[in-house]
Amino acid sequence: MIKVEKLHKSFGKNEVLKGISTQINNGEVVAIIGPSGSGKSTFLRCINKLEEPTDGKIWIKGADITDRQTDILKVRQNVGMVFQHFHLFPHMTVLENLTYAPLKVKKTTKSEAENTAMDLLEKVGLAVKAQEYPSKLSGGQKQRVAIARALAMNPEIMLFDEPTSALDPEMVKEVLDVMKTLAHSGMTMAIVTHEMGFAREVADRVLFLDGGVLVEDAPPNEFFSHPKSSRAQDFLQKVL
Amino acid sequence: MNLDFTSVLPSLPFILQGLGVTLQIVCLAGILGFLLGIILSLCKISKIKLLNWLANAYTSVFRGTPLILQLMIIYFGSPQVLGFQIEGVTAAIIGFALNSAAYISEIIRAGIQAIDKGQQEAAMALGVPYRPTMVNIILPQAMKNILPALMNEFITLTKESALVTTIGVMDVMRRAYQVGANQYQFMEPLLLAGIIYYILVTILTFLGKLVEGRLRSND
Ligand SMILES: Nc1ncnc2c1ncn2[C@@H]1O[C@H](COP(=O)(O)OP(=O)(O)OP(=O)(O)O)[C@@H](O)[C@H]1O
Ligand SMILES: [Mg+2]
Repeated sequence: MIKVEKLHKSFGKNEVLKGISTQINNGEVVAIIGPSGSGKSTFLRCINKLEEPTDGKIWIKGADITDRQTDILKVRQNVGMVFQHFHLFPHMTVLENLTYAPLKVKKTTKSEAENTAMDLLEKVGLAVKAQEYPSKLSGGQKQRVAIARALAMNPEIMLFDEPTSALDPEMVKEVLDVMKTLAHSGMTMAIVTHEMGFAREVADRVLFLDGGVLVEDAPPNEFFSHPKSSRAQDFLQKVL
Repeated sequence: MNLDFTSVLPSLPFILQGLGVTLQIVCLAGILGFLLGIILSLCKISKIKLLNWLANAYTSVFRGTPLILQLMIIYFGSPQVLGFQIEGVTAAIIGFALNSAAYISEIIRAGIQAIDKGQQEAAMALGVPYRPTMVNIILPQAMKNILPALMNEFITLTKESALVTTIGVMDVMRRAYQVGANQYQFMEPLLLAGIIYYILVTILTFLGKLVEGRLRSND
């Protein structure tokens, strides 16, 4: 589903990703963890080309997105993304946030887009908020709407960049619960997170990044119980 | 000082007839300047260096020279450049539109850059192309923030429209001046013109506040 080969990314002289290779299979849920500044966000943002890779290749469902010929807009329709700070469109209602891209990009009919949107809002428990503006929602509600907005494009892959880091503690669970349901529904997911409990419970694999290098790639039980590298051991000692 | 409006008041309708021209210039130049300002601002934030340079050079020239000079070049220069004399009103609309576009583009550029980058990234991540992202996501939010500055620019335009007097356009200002010249009595007609401009600007300010309030009530 996603294949990454020798991915390098530099900002000016600062090399942030130093040759990352990995693969994420259909239906797999992968947690990406590592210290601050290790390149987790950059890695995730290369997958939908919000950052332009400096070198290396990335295939999404067989399409090489580092190839200029590839229609990246088409690929992005199939890759949803959820941000730490939600980035809902503040001048649109919750419902409009969900229907905007399907209407504009997929040319879905209005009634179909709204039906899908209401179904999704139902699933994240926010159908009653459909006509509200985002500013009226709590952080947890905003993030659930943001997840629903990404799902409204009916993507096969979902990327999450620390979706709960900007939330008050009491709102973390409601968002993680939505993500858990999504994971169990067979969605292919790449999740940058500091929620170790969640990673351990939901992920099929853990990728541990440090200094722009993929240091470990293991199932959560193995990674959390027997981290091989000393860097992962140090990291886990600090966060657990 | 003794002011005597009795001999000037009969000329009030004559002066007021200039409102049509003044409003025509202000509205058309305002709309054209706004549209051109959007295009220029998009050039300024573009990744294409040549567009940046062109838009910045444009702004620099129109801000760095007197407006009255720009008007005169367009009006008096037209026979040499175009081969025919354009009308004063046309020259005025073009001149004010080009000039205000320079200022408006700066306002819009700042407004766009003040919008969280995450808005554009969220749209990109959904597969939305550049143009609808700008038109539906970024510009509506930017407009809300820059409305007061835009309104200011519009008010400035209204007042400076009096400059068209110098290229023979029969606006409020020129008519007031003519009445003065006919009656050897300038103070009263000029004061009348002043009152007309003041009322115009007050109405504009009020409309601006109204629109602003509407937009704010959305969030
Ligand atoms: N747009 C950018 N321009 C320049 N440098 C950047 C940019 N984005 C990220 N960096 C740098 O790249 C490095 C990795 O950043 P990144 O955001 O990927 O780390 P991270 O692992 O997500 O960290 P955190 O846990 O704090 O979110 C950092 O040193 C950061 O300063
Ligand atoms: Mg990050």
